[in-house]
Amino acid sequence: MSEKEEPRIGVFICHCGTNIAGVVDVKQVVDFTSKQPNVVFATDYTYMCSDPGQALIKDSIKEHKLNRVVVAACSPRMHEPTFRKTCQEAGLNPYLFEMANIREQCCWVHMGEPEKATEKAKALVKAALAKASLLEPLTPMEFNVERSALIIGGGIAGIQAALDLANAGFHVYLVEKEPSIGGHMAQLDKTFPTLDCSACILTPKMVDVGRHPNITLLTYCEAQEVEGFIGNFKVKILRKARYVDEKACTGCGVCAQKCPVKVPSEFDLGLGMRKAIYIPFPQSVPITHTIDKENCLYFTRGVCKVCEKFCPAKAIRFDQQDETIELKVGIIINATGYDLFNAKKLPQYGYGKYKNVITGLEFERLVNASGPTGGKIVRPSDGKTPKSVAFIQCIGSRDEHHGVPYCSRICCMASLKHAHQVKEKIPGAEVCVFYIDLRCFGKGYEEFLVRVQDEGIRLVRGKVSEIYENPETGNLRLRLEDTLLGEVMETEFELVVLAVALVPRAEAPALQTLLKVSRGADGFFLEAHPKLRPVETHIPGIFICGCAQGPKDIPDTVAQASAAAAQAAIPLSQGKVTAEPLTAYVLEDYCSGCGVCEAICPYKAIELKEVEEGKRRAEVNEALCQGCGLCGAACPSKAIVLRGFTEPQLMSQIEALSSV
Amino acid sequence: MKTLYACIQCGTCSGSCPAGRYTNLRTRLIVRNIQLGLRENVLGSDDLWACTTCYTCQERCPRNIMITDIVRVARNIAFEEGHAKKPHLYVAHMFINTGHSIKFADEHRKLRESVNVSSVPPTVLSYPEAMEEISKLTELSGFKKKVLEREG
Repeated sequence: MSEKEEPRIGVFICHCGTNIAGVVDVKQVVDFTSKQPNVVFATDYTYMCSDPGQALIKDSIKEHKLNRVVVAACSPRMHEPTFRKTCQEAGLNPYLFEMANIREQCCWVHMGEPEKATEKAKALVKAALAKASLLEPLTPMEFNVERSALIIGGGIAGIQAALDLANAGFHVYLVEKEPSIGGHMAQLDKTFPTLDCSACILTPKMVDVGRHPNITLLTYCEAQEVEGFIGNFKVKILRKARYVDEKACTGCGVCAQKCPVKVPSEFDLGLGMRKAIYIPFPQSVPITHTIDKENCLYFTRGVCKVCEKFCPAKAIRFDQQDETIELKVGIIINATGYDLFNAKKLPQYGYGKYKNVITGLEFERLVNASGPTGGKIVRPSDGKTPKSVAFIQCIGSRDEHHGVPYCSRICCMASLKHAHQVKEKIPGAEVCVFYIDLRCFGKGYEEFLVRVQDEGIRLVRGKVSEIYENPETGNLRLRLEDTLLGEVMETEFELVVLAVALVPRAEAPALQTLLKVSRGADGFFLEAHPKLRPVETHIPGIFICGCAQGPKDIPDTVAQASAAAAQAAIPLSQGKVTAEPLTAYVLEDYCSGCGVCEAICPYKAIELKEVEEGKRRAEVNEALCQGCGLCGAACPSKAIVLRGFTEPQLMSQIEALSSV
Repeated sequence: MKTLYACIQCGTCSGSCPAGRYTNLRTRLIVRNIQLGLRENVLGSDDLWACTTCYTCQERCPRNIMITDIVRVARNIAFEEGHAKKPHLYVAHMFINTGHSIKFADEHRKLRESVNVSSVPPTVLSYPEAMEEISKLTELSGFKKKVLEREG
């Protein structure tokens, strides 16, 4: 369309059933509209978004040679994409379409005043017409997509997403900061509600990851820099020196046997010991050993090297250095999981002070056959088998005062599972779960609760208020109110297990900066839409899954990981992506190079470039720009224009609104 | 801070309550009864007066509810509506008339002397002229009027 071509606008006014027509006098709006300048056709229909409604628009474009289309209906968030496609199908540039929102911003807020609402609808349509006359055709940009993925985090979420994408034929780089993949799930003993052994269902997947031809496993690595945009991310990965040659090490374990240094095992949460050269747990993937530089005698005192002497594979490399690996990937999945709430923040429960007060994850290590006690549930204070065990729910969860406001979702079921395990391993033990509400919402969860109740576990409704230790016996006295009886009581147990909240990773703020994604008020990473876009972020090409997005159990985590992989596979299999052309551009002559736009851009899409000595100009990377308009509003020289929202377009709209 | 309608009846308050160990005070039930609008259960109950306002419940409440402050408000309403307890009125009277809520007895004097502090506390007992100020304060604040109204 040449610039001089006169606008020929078609206007389509939607009834939206009675949503609009029940308030606004649609016929009046049509009459008003048809008398406006440049309008060659105006009509109404019950549901403009329906197939017949869209056909009406398409036929009218052809019949009346329309070169602009205005639909007055709902919010552009709902159906702007629909009508853009309709225009395109009729041969009209989709950006010559404008929408007037006469539902949310008119009918729904003025239901009691139909006459005024009708006048407002006319004004809104008039404003849309004013803008429509000034619209210009725009063309979406296309980018090629690098057909590989980066997944950050090697827990069950990252593992599942990696396997799905790798099986779909894409190359996956799986980055894990620990020496082995497996995450929290590897630390668990059994999984609710079916009581499958956690390792038995997890380790086959870990092994698959380790030997998959499409997966490059980068353990003991951290993502350091991320640049670029969907399809074209450039990532720098820090590979921390493990002082062992990954290719040479066979995992025989002779080094760890001979190593003289013992330190508390992180994997066993300090309940057991490991050596200074170690694998975190027997089924580690990779099986490559790692030297803990902080504790190794050679690194701290310059002596020893026993591991090097005995290693039959000659795999020890004391001279290994950290390295940086550069990758190019098309998409990124954030599967970084969760941390546990620090129960020391609630001193009334005595965690960290009384030895026999432990957390649920510590209980998992105690009850695990490969754990520090070989699966025997014993008290940390004296190694004796406890004859009574209390489980206390909501430690940090649902506590906006000292903890986190949300429910951590897994603890009720985890504690019920633990209660069952105590009954199974210590016959005759007294087991009690103190709860506020029991939330057993998943498939088979309520049935599991009934099963556990049947086994004779006592359920007491009431949050324990405080715990005192009997220093002679190491037993713990719990003070609480049984809220169903209204009785305040004090009761003694030999072991207390706290169900601590799941909280965002300590590294979450750093990762947020790295990926430029958002986090919610709870600190977890934010999805693009809580219902309809649950695994996308607001940055195209970056996805989330698992507990990085919020607390969830294993079934939900695995489902979400597969969902993220499926979403990520869309651009990967297309091989290209199109980006909205509603982006900002710089009028170079007006730009003074002040840099306000660069600082304010939330997507890091603007960069100041030196055009000649001492002269800088802003430049917009259109692939990164999301069209938010912040730069245009902030620019003191009006040097930034947002396509589709130019100043003349917006001003004409405002002028039309105020002239009715 | 949240209103008491956010209470989830977890019982942290009652379990933490030092007064509840020795009395029937169930802080949680005060909140519950207010939530349900059962005024008389709260205002007419002796338990309302068992709270020592130590604030442990408020400090521990996971929902961040101003429980202790609510108890104080409930007491004010109870007092206004004629639920004042006899011993409270007695104490209030003592204060209005003597500037001391507890009668200063010989045993108090002896106790003070035994720990080497002045035999009479540095209150209105040492400064009788302060009684005038106390009278003014109890009058200006409306305290005196309220107490006398309840005298019956």
